[in-house]
Amino acid sequence: MPSPIHRPDDPAAVPRNPPHACAGAAPTVLKVVIAGGFGAGKTTAVGAVSEITPLSTEEYLTEASADVDSLTGLESKRTTTVAFDFGRLSLSDAPTPLELFLFGTPGQDRFVDLWYDLSRGAVGAVVLVDTRRLESSFTPVSFFEDIGLPFVVAVNQFDGAHRYHPEEVRTALELPAAIPVVTCDARDPNHVAGVLLTLVDHAMNNATTSRTGHAPSTTLQDA
Amino acid sequence: MTTYGRTAEESAFVRTYTLTRGRTKPRHLLGLETVLEAGPGRPGPAQAEECEEILALCRERRRPVVELAGRLGRPVTAVKVLVSDLLDADALVVPLTQPYADTGAGSGPSTQLLAALSAGLKRKWPDAVAYPQAG
Repeated sequence: MPSPIHRPDDPAAVPRNPPHACAGAAPTVLKVVIAGGFGAGKTTAVGAVSEITPLSTEEYLTEASADVDSLTGLESKRTTTVAFDFGRLSLSDAPTPLELFLFGTPGQDRFVDLWYDLSRGAVGAVVLVDTRRLESSFTPVSFFEDIGLPFVVAVNQFDGAHRYHPEEVRTALELPAAIPVVTCDARDPNHVAGVLLTLVDHAMNNATTSRTGHAPSTTLQDA
Repeated sequence: MTTYGRTAEESAFVRTYTLTRGRTKPRHLLGLETVLEAGPGRPGPAQAEECEEILALCRERRRPVVELAGRLGRPVTAVKVLVSDLLDADALVVPLTQPYADTGAGSGPSTQLLAALSAGLKRKWPDAVAYPQAG
């Protein structure tokens, strides 16, 4: 029997591997969550920049449970299936070799458990908005606001749909001025990459602001 | 949902956990994005066919748990159970990588990593532009 396993707090952050396994440094993994209502274009957006065809991945969620991994006591619980999209791209030309994982996730609030899982350690989130179904964006927007994950709102410009000005969408979603609202064509890789760049800029601004915001009033130099 | 639909979902669930021989909890704590690569070990006897598929995929290149689940068409938890078996046999290993979450619990990647990501995206899509910060 194998020996008991050490369980780190964050499995993704603490690799448990023998040193011989390290054949060539693995790129650093970063991830971005793309959330939106049904038909908002999440799979299209993931596919526009992903190096692989977006994969639809399934997980079982138990309705009474807060932990996606806990499937014990199933007899008494309803099990539902949640499907989400996965795509990835390598940025080997980046100053540090990076791999970016993209997760497209459904916007309904019964998937909040999955969002927690996906948001942990993420760069941030893109809330993809279809202006014909604006109400489906409220849940992801308030979720990311609540957990303090940097996010941007991207309005997917569907052919034939009425074009709203981003500021109209900002007002409708009651978004603070600091949250970037942009329009994009989710089919266009340059657009989606532009949305990702906007998110990264926003996340960097957030990181700088929160650092200064939490700085003690008296520094060592002052003392 | 109809009675029929519910039954179908439950029977898919039962099929899935036949694959893991009834186990519903992976022995290793694995994240969706935990990356795996093929190791020196051999899988034990009487492993599910899916274990060979996982190994074949990871021999081609490193792949995260979520991608293996998507390619196998199996739920993430079931794949984590199988991956745990393969980790115990050293048939899979988690490559040493700079963890994205090393700036502290609950926080995102460091500003250095974000800057690298920005530079990497710009190099890959020179025509893409960050939208000017609104507000």
